[in-house]
Amino acid sequence: MKVVLNDLVKNFANSERAAVNRINLVIDDGELAVLLGPSGCGKTTTLRMIAGLEQPDSGRITIADRDITDLAPKDRRVAMVFQNFSMYPTMNVYDNIAFPLHAIKMDRKAIDQTVREMARLVNIDHLLERGVRQVSGGEAQRVALARAMVRRPEVFLMDEPLSNLDAKLRVQLRTEIKRLHQDTGTTFIFVTHDQEEAMTLGDKIIVMNQGDIQQVGTPHEVFFAPRNAFVANFVGTPSMNMLRGRARAGDDGGFRAELPGFELRLPDRFAAGLRRMRGDQVIWGIRPEAIRLVAAPAENTVTGEVELVEALGSRDLIFARVGEQLFGVIVDALESAQVGDTCHLHFDGAKMHLFNAETEDSLLQFSAAEPA
Amino acid sequence: MRVPTSERALAYVILIALAALVLIPVLFGSITAFKPQIIWVSSPPTWIFEPTLENFEFVFIQRKGWQYLRNSLIISSGSVIIALLLGVPAAYAFARFRFRGSKALMQWLISLRMIPPIVVGLPFYAMFLFLERGLNIGLRDTYPGLIITYQTFLLPLVIWMMRGYFVELPAAMEESAMVEGYTRLGALLRVVLPVVWPGIVATAILNFIFAWNEFFLALILSGNRTSTLPMSAGTYIVRTRVEWGNLFAVNLIIMVPVIVLTIILRRQLVKGLTFGILE
Amino acid sequence: MTATGATGRADQSFSTRLYRATQRYKHWFFIAPALLIILTVVIYPIIFSTGVSFFRVTFASQSRPFVGLQNFERMLTNDDFIESTFNTLYYVVFSVSGSFALGFGVALLIRRITVGKDLLRLILIIPITMAPIVVGLMWNWMLDPLFGLINWFLDLVNIPEQTFLAQAATARMTVVLVDIWQWYPLVFLIIEAGMATLPRAPYESARLEGVSSWMIFRRITLPLLRPVILVALLLRTVDAFRTFDLVRVMTDGGPALTTETLSLYLYRTAFTFNKLSRAAAGSILMLLVIGLISAVMFRYLFREVGDS
Repeated sequence: MKVVLNDLVKNFANSERAAVNRINLVIDDGELAVLLGPSGCGKTTTLRMIAGLEQPDSGRITIADRDITDLAPKDRRVAMVFQNFSMYPTMNVYDNIAFPLHAIKMDRKAIDQTVREMARLVNIDHLLERGVRQVSGGEAQRVALARAMVRRPEVFLMDEPLSNLDAKLRVQLRTEIKRLHQDTGTTFIFVTHDQEEAMTLGDKIIVMNQGDIQQVGTPHEVFFAPRNAFVANFVGTPSMNMLRGRARAGDDGGFRAELPGFELRLPDRFAAGLRRMRGDQVIWGIRPEAIRLVAAPAENTVTGEVELVEALGSRDLIFARVGEQLFGVIVDALESAQVGDTCHLHFDGAKMHLFNAETEDSLLQFSAAEPA
Repeated sequence: MRVPTSERALAYVILIALAALVLIPVLFGSITAFKPQIIWVSSPPTWIFEPTLENFEFVFIQRKGWQYLRNSLIISSGSVIIALLLGVPAAYAFARFRFRGSKALMQWLISLRMIPPIVVGLPFYAMFLFLERGLNIGLRDTYPGLIITYQTFLLPLVIWMMRGYFVELPAAMEESAMVEGYTRLGALLRVVLPVVWPGIVATAILNFIFAWNEFFLALILSGNRTSTLPMSAGTYIVRTRVEWGNLFAVNLIIMVPVIVLTIILRRQLVKGLTFGILE
Repeated sequence: MTATGATGRADQSFSTRLYRATQRYKHWFFIAPALLIILTVVIYPIIFSTGVSFFRVTFASQSRPFVGLQNFERMLTNDDFIESTFNTLYYVVFSVSGSFALGFGVALLIRRITVGKDLLRLILIIPITMAPIVVGLMWNWMLDPLFGLINWFLDLVNIPEQTFLAQAATARMTVVLVDIWQWYPLVFLIIEAGMATLPRAPYESARLEGVSSWMIFRRITLPLLRPVILVALLLRTVDAFRTFDLVRVMTDGGPALTTETLSLYLYRTAFTFNKLSRAAAGSILMLLVIGLISAVMFRYLFREVGDS
């Protein structure tokens, strides 16, 4: 079902800053939306307000055009999976999954059928008689998933359900959640601070920071076209190389960036934004993947020295020093360099990012209709 | 920890000597309860005798021991039940909700541990007296009167102990149940209560011990109808002599349940005795 | 959606406001009943005592004239009050230090043994589970001059029998020793619990550096245990300060008031001499002193805890 957040505000008594600062958001029916941000950014508070576990100070929440702002959690037809809780310890797996059904007074036979069906769906049908001490962390989290699905909720809420699991299990369950989303076609809202998890799971990513929504977009949009310096920096590992500098009009009508130690020609797509900008201070950025090592200096190339090499498997992460600045560069392991080598870094204009240093907003032109 | 043998031997010697100092009066006193009247007192002490239950018989039948035991049981369990009914929800709120003044209110609750019983007992005696004379409401020498008064030391202790148990549970446990179709109260009863049940039992036991051993408030506020076992112990001290065998029979009746409960409770004991200040 | 969001609070219905109010004040539903009872059983008595202490009231009197601070004045100049205060302080100093030393010692010793640890611990904490009145009566019997075990033992080593509780010279210390016997397990349990939570790393590094065990104890164990030690001292001080049961059955304040504690004196003032308002004034004074002691220790304690 479609979820709409309208001017949602939440303040906590012991904090001066708003936890959620008047946010607006539309999540379409059947979408898997991921709320992504660092801890304390308001993503979990937002999710808990949708679940009814926190009461917003103002603003409305609707699910399928039904205003649920002042409904108790149990009446919202949502389900939630938590980070640090998976199974009721006094019940076995079967009773855990049956628990939400007892609340709606379903008859025993129907309960039995539903429980078994859900257990099969998440591959725990062989564990039904087990207690909480006899299942692993991953299995317990599947129980939580089954228990969430059993009432066929209109919206599925997940609050970092995978972050307490080890790396391998996390990847495995991530795939299963994706499959579950495809099978059920229900709206999922997933909270995480792990941008890789957000990328692989989400149809739509909502990046949040300090109670505000920074950007809403597909994984590709937030990665390749970050709307501001925060999103650019937060999304992607290793993170984007960013430098503060000054932009000025060049002799040829294009713009050039004066950065500490070197100067670059900026691509024309920033021209309109730069012309409208007040002042000339900018943040220039480029992802480690977008830098290439070239044999000889050319336009938009700087020369540096390799200071550190980290192996990432098939690729290497090189840290190259150019003056004061250390650049992270990702190269194919076979074309890697040695510590101490002199290298020429080529910055592809098509992959550069540029932000207003004052507002930190991107200098690319976005259509005004898109919500901020 | 690696300990030199000599050091360990010394530790054993001291601790066993101390244990003897604890056990000798307790055991030596207790056997008097099983002595026939003629050898209650003797010098040198009599070690070998034929044990008898006549002291218990006397205490129970001639001296209304059953009544004291019943009073002690009713007052202790009654005040523990009331303290749990009122204290467990409050403890839950202190563990889960942050609200204005919650921290100060909790610190104030700990400080109640410090109030001398006389400060409470005196006004209660006066209040019961005035209620009786003025409004014809009799609370003196009644079970409700004592049970209410015992809340002075039981209720803060219940709140503090139970709060500790609730804090250890993730809030997500009841929140999960609330999203799955239950009210907060329903979630508490079906999900949280079964999990903290051992904590409730431990809290109940420790509070029961305190109420069971209580003497001062019972001395002031009870009377013929509601006298407790500790009160009855005093009745075996007659002006010139003490009925030692009967007295130790009563002492045993007071002591044995508590020692049994302590053995059950020993791991949780510290938490209760320190009143949760140690957290 | 336009109807809900844009108009804000104006269109909130009664049920909406009711739900919000119950959500905002939900903690009071849980706390209010308990708080109500606590206010009745704690705050009422304090207010009552404070009020009564400004009047002259007995349990029988019909007229209750206002006398201002006279009750406090009489209390503070009364020899028996001063003596019982002095006795109480004596009791506090010796009982607290004695039970602390013994309890701390036991906590240190029991770490050094292995076999029979649980059984020994169980035996050693028996006194604390006993009703103080039972403890008192039991020791009366042990100390009896004619047939008590103590005197029988003294007799064996040719010491003449002693009436410990009947002589002014020994009665006070005897009661204190019994109090120590009963309460050292509290210190022991608290210190042992505190030691169980000590981190291992500082000890391991100190031992690697060859620090002596005495220095380890002084420089690592004691500082880390400070908050725990304070808790033990605080609880013992407060308990010793308000002692009643044990003294009541052992000496009832005698001989010649040498063991009369404040609680006992106030009890007698109210119930034997029927001076309700004066006892109330005394109990308020006692509450102030105990409040002051615990406030100082509390602040110290919370500062300690806050630091670590």
